[in-house]
Amino acid sequence: MNWKIFGAISAAAVTAASLYLWILIFTDDFSVQYVAAYSSTQLPTLYKISAFWAGQQGSFLLWLLIHALAGLVLVFRKTPAPALAVYFALELLLIIFVLANSPFAPNPVEVSEGVGLNPLLQDFWMAIHPPVIFAGYALLAVPLSLSIGALFKSAASKSWLEPARKWTLVAWSLLGAGIFIGGYWAYKVLGWGGYWAWDPVENSSLVPWLLSAVLLHLINLAQKKSAVLPLAHIAAVFTYSLVIYGTFLTRSGILGDFSVHSFAGSDVGLTTALADALVLIGGLAIIFVKAKNFPTGRMYERYSEPAFVVLLGMLLLIFVAVIVWLGMSMPLFTLALENPAAVGEEFYVKSTAPIAAVLFALAVYSLAKFRMSLGGKIAHAGFVFGLAAVVISSSGETVTAELANGVETELAGHRIIYSGQIIEARQKFYVYSVDGQEVRALTKLRGNGEDAAREPAILKNISGDVYLAPHPPKNILAQEIILERGRFAMDGELGYTFDSAEISYDAENNPVRASAKIEVTDGVQTETIEPQIEVTADGGSSSAIEILGGRRRVRLTGISGDKLKARLEILPALAEISAVPVTTTVSTKPLIWLLWLSAAAICAGTLAAVKK
Amino acid sequence: MRKVFLAAMLAGFIVYAGMNLSESVTPYVSIAEATAATGSVQVKGLRDENFEPRQVDSEFIFNLRDEETGEILPVRFTGVKPDQFDEAYHIVAVGKYDAEEETFRAKKLLIKCPSKYEGQKPQ
Repeated sequence: MNWKIFGAISAAAVTAASLYLWILIFTDDFSVQYVAAYSSTQLPTLYKISAFWAGQQGSFLLWLLIHALAGLVLVFRKTPAPALAVYFALELLLIIFVLANSPFAPNPVEVSEGVGLNPLLQDFWMAIHPPVIFAGYALLAVPLSLSIGALFKSAASKSWLEPARKWTLVAWSLLGAGIFIGGYWAYKVLGWGGYWAWDPVENSSLVPWLLSAVLLHLINLAQKKSAVLPLAHIAAVFTYSLVIYGTFLTRSGILGDFSVHSFAGSDVGLTTALADALVLIGGLAIIFVKAKNFPTGRMYERYSEPAFVVLLGMLLLIFVAVIVWLGMSMPLFTLALENPAAVGEEFYVKSTAPIAAVLFALAVYSLAKFRMSLGGKIAHAGFVFGLAAVVISSSGETVTAELANGVETELAGHRIIYSGQIIEARQKFYVYSVDGQEVRALTKLRGNGEDAAREPAILKNISGDVYLAPHPPKNILAQEIILERGRFAMDGELGYTFDSAEISYDAENNPVRASAKIEVTDGVQTETIEPQIEVTADGGSSSAIEILGGRRRVRLTGISGDKLKARLEILPALAEISAVPVTTTVSTKPLIWLLWLSAAAICAGTLAAVKK
Repeated sequence: MRKVFLAAMLAGFIVYAGMNLSESVTPYVSIAEATAATGSVQVKGLRDENFEPRQVDSEFIFNLRDEETGEILPVRFTGVKPDQFDEAYHIVAVGKYDAEEETFRAKKLLIKCPSKYEGQKPQ
């Protein structure tokens, strides 16, 4: 069998399918359900690219795409045939995932506009987070394939270790980068003040990452100590089966009540569970059958030798992984009981902290005592400083207070002034001054002017961040009036006369856009305005326009089909809204930049270690 | 010696993890069970429309209504009103019941909205 041709055909076919999905997205083909659900005509190019992986079906295709492309590299790198067989068998599982949940399913209803990407996800870091994570997941199939492929030949074979080491380093770096990017995004965008919530979706990527760190160290050690070889094989099997386990747990809908990342339940549960069982049981069975042929000997002679320290560290890392795995799986374990249960954040923090402290000491000891490549040194230093930064950055203060406009308040050791709001197109900013420096908290607005995604304001300093999360009251002082054509109506102070309306239709006779001509007067001045409303899948989109020199802002929210009635939302002037106090949570994050820097060091050091 | 060491580590870990786990598991209970429980629990319910939720300094106060029995549970949450609170169809409060004050002290709220991360299905 010619693997090169096979690999090329597989990569070409999957690439073609992926390009086709992008074409569907870029041509706004809403006859495909996935495109209608995650894209829209107005989405900027970057987010049209990332709409590809915005949902469950597309992200499986992305995973498959990366797997197939890595497969192309493998076939051209003289990878042994048994390993390639395993690798493409694993690709078949991914193909089944995609087919079971196709992104190309037709849309049962006809729509002229898509829903668009969730505004929370319209962020650069969120656009690149999934491909980085999935690249990590996909590449972890390589060490597994090399491991099982080698076992088919000979249990004593060590030639698979060097390529497996390189692939695992790249996979580990990417998966780590993906996790860190997700944490950074949560910190910068979600505004709850943290970067890691121990949510099952987060944990399900952390566990394979911890396990692949174990795999990496065991591969390294097995190159020097043959007795470690069986452990490296076992680690490869567990690592990849935990990748699929995480997919199963988060995509099956089991966690519906327990995770804030509510992935709608779907029928991928059974498929992924079976695939996971296949990988785990199949992999362990092969190791078991070959067990008697494994090299024997001692893993370490003395407790002071690097091998012992590494093995001890790996055992502790496995303990951490088991704790996280137990915690995230509790809803599944207790599903059969009448009252399913989950564990709180304290469980993870309390149980992993003492183990992390020992791991910290082991890493410091290893850095000081053992020989390590430059990349290894950078990555281990990143781990040490990163752990320290986790502790230090969480030692800050958090206070919530109602802030009146223009009043200076001393909060969490900083002078904070709230100075109102600024609205620009579909963005709104809460403006603060922290110790004399201006910072703005962005709120993305929906087409109808409601808040869609509220981000915090962050003042970055060498001593750490000051983090301000506004919690404004909803729909401040808005009132709505219904205008009848030709009749005069008042909002208490100003008068409105609805003169005429226009509605434009598309070829299928669906309304696309509507506008109204309305005369506004305060008794002295009179002004004619023409507010517009665009029909979108989520209702309609119209922005507020200022009237009578900014005395009010009005927004058209509806027009009846017979053009006899118009609905107008009347909002107070910006100055008036800005005068309303805003409850704000202020927290300090000492040295948080050290955490981001350490994360970058971990990923970069790991990549640098690929070249030995 | 090696085997003893490994066995001791494993046994120690199992005891350690088991103890932490049994302390931290917060069972999913009904409002009636929550008021009777002494430990940390999770209660799921609907928002009680008859009570206007309000923020008192750093506490957010609202009422949870049992979907089946209609029972009411007053909740004090340490924090501010979560963003999607008004659109929530289910609220899960995690915390302990304070029998003296007859309120549920929530440390965490999970707001279940049908369309938070998954896009709304086009009609």
